[in-house]
Amino acid sequence: MSSRTGVFSSSVGTKIVIGLTGMALVLYLVVHIAGNALVFFGPTVFNQYSHLLLSNPLVPLIEIGLVIIFALHLYKTVRMFIANQQARPVAYVRKKYAGAPSRKTVASSTMIVSGLWLLMFVVIHVTQFKYGAEYEVDGVRDLYRLEMENFANPLLVGFYVVSMLVVGSHLWHGIASAFQSIGADHPRWTPRLLAASKILAVAIAAGFVVIAVWAYVHQAGRVRP
Amino acid sequence: MRLHLKIWRQAGPDAAGRLVDYVADRISPDMSFLEMLDVVNEALIRNGEDAIAFDSDCREGICGMCSLVVNGVPHGPDRGTTVCQLHMRRFKDGDTITVEPWRAKAFPVMKDLVVDRSAFDRIIAAGGYISVNVGGAPDGNAIPVPKEIADVAMDSAACIGCGACVAACKNASAHLFMSAKISQLALLPQGRAERYRRVLSMIDQADAEGFGSCSNEGECEAVCPKEIPISNIARMTREYVKALWAAGR
Ligand code: FES
Repeated sequence: MSSRTGVFSSSVGTKIVIGLTGMALVLYLVVHIAGNALVFFGPTVFNQYSHLLLSNPLVPLIEIGLVIIFALHLYKTVRMFIANQQARPVAYVRKKYAGAPSRKTVASSTMIVSGLWLLMFVVIHVTQFKYGAEYEVDGVRDLYRLEMENFANPLLVGFYVVSMLVVGSHLWHGIASAFQSIGADHPRWTPRLLAASKILAVAIAAGFVVIAVWAYVHQAGRVRP
Repeated sequence: MRLHLKIWRQAGPDAAGRLVDYVADRISPDMSFLEMLDVVNEALIRNGEDAIAFDSDCREGICGMCSLVVNGVPHGPDRGTTVCQLHMRRFKDGDTITVEPWRAKAFPVMKDLVVDRSAFDRIIAAGGYISVNVGGAPDGNAIPVPKEIADVAMDSAACIGCGACVAACKNASAHLFMSAKISQLALLPQGRAERYRRVLSMIDQADAEGFGSCSNEGECEAVCPKEIPISNIARMTREYVKALWAAGR
């Protein structure tokens, strides 16, 4: 604790790091879904938008930042999970939820599972899109075509839908929890924050599901994988 | 009333424990949970058997000694109640009741349902006090404290240090306990002087004792006999950040 990095290893410092990195990742998801929604405006708009991103020299830097934030979130949560398990070596024979005002939910009890699922998902997702087939149209990368081809596969759409439900579950607890973790609490605003974060969790999950299913319905008939 | 009990028996700190079945007969619904255990123990003693060890002192909900997990919930099913204030009328004739000790690495079982909570004492000794000489009792209103602040400080000071928060938490975290003590002192003028040193050393001590971190589920608040809210934990985090800032870390 006396060292500069040690302050983030304490049980409170760990929470602060997890909360801040979690917030940054949620922010990223909001930007991500807004960009994805452009797919509804057709290939030209969507590809122009993705070209704008791909040709921006700042984007690789942001990507590196994202990877670091993601890795930090993962590392701190896994380490905390292990330490927390060790804090109760003998389990209860019988243990029950204590009920209100506890915020415990299935989502909050499975954060490590949903989180690790999302790690697997992100690896697959990035492989399929960022490092997917390099089509070209009018001098820009045709990500629209790649997306439509990927989502023509019902199995893959199913995997994405499940993964987005997992995202929703992770955020159901995660968003409000991140605020509490950095010490943001207010008698009037916290109840509203709790509700708002659940709404945002559902909105993010539903948004991605709609895009994947729409792409499947829209293109499955025309493109053969 | 006739009740079936499943009670954790463990001969000593290093012995293996297990749930043992007992029948509690002719129990009055007006008895407290601990009085019911007294009745069971009297029968055991009469039969020359080893009585069930459990902690209690005041039996009126103010000392924080009693510490039983009843049917999977620390202090049992009633909200804002210690187990010594839980009454048998809360149960039905013929019920099966499981009784276990607090379970945490930092609270080792001494015998049966008795755990060693001296880890809490060491957290307090690390900084949960004021060492400035405050002299005799000051005149009323000599030190102005706004009513709202005094209320929050008083609510935090209601903590009796029973450890139910640790027992309920899936991480066996002591954050609610610590944060109540830290809040109580940081909110009042007398506690301000040492607030930064206090929060850093108390958190250090809790981590060293082997308590877990906090997942913001709030099971602790739900079982706390004094209904201390987890907003205290957020305040502790703010104190921690301010302390680091002040220390220039
Ligand atoms: S015995 Fe004192 S609080 Fe229960």
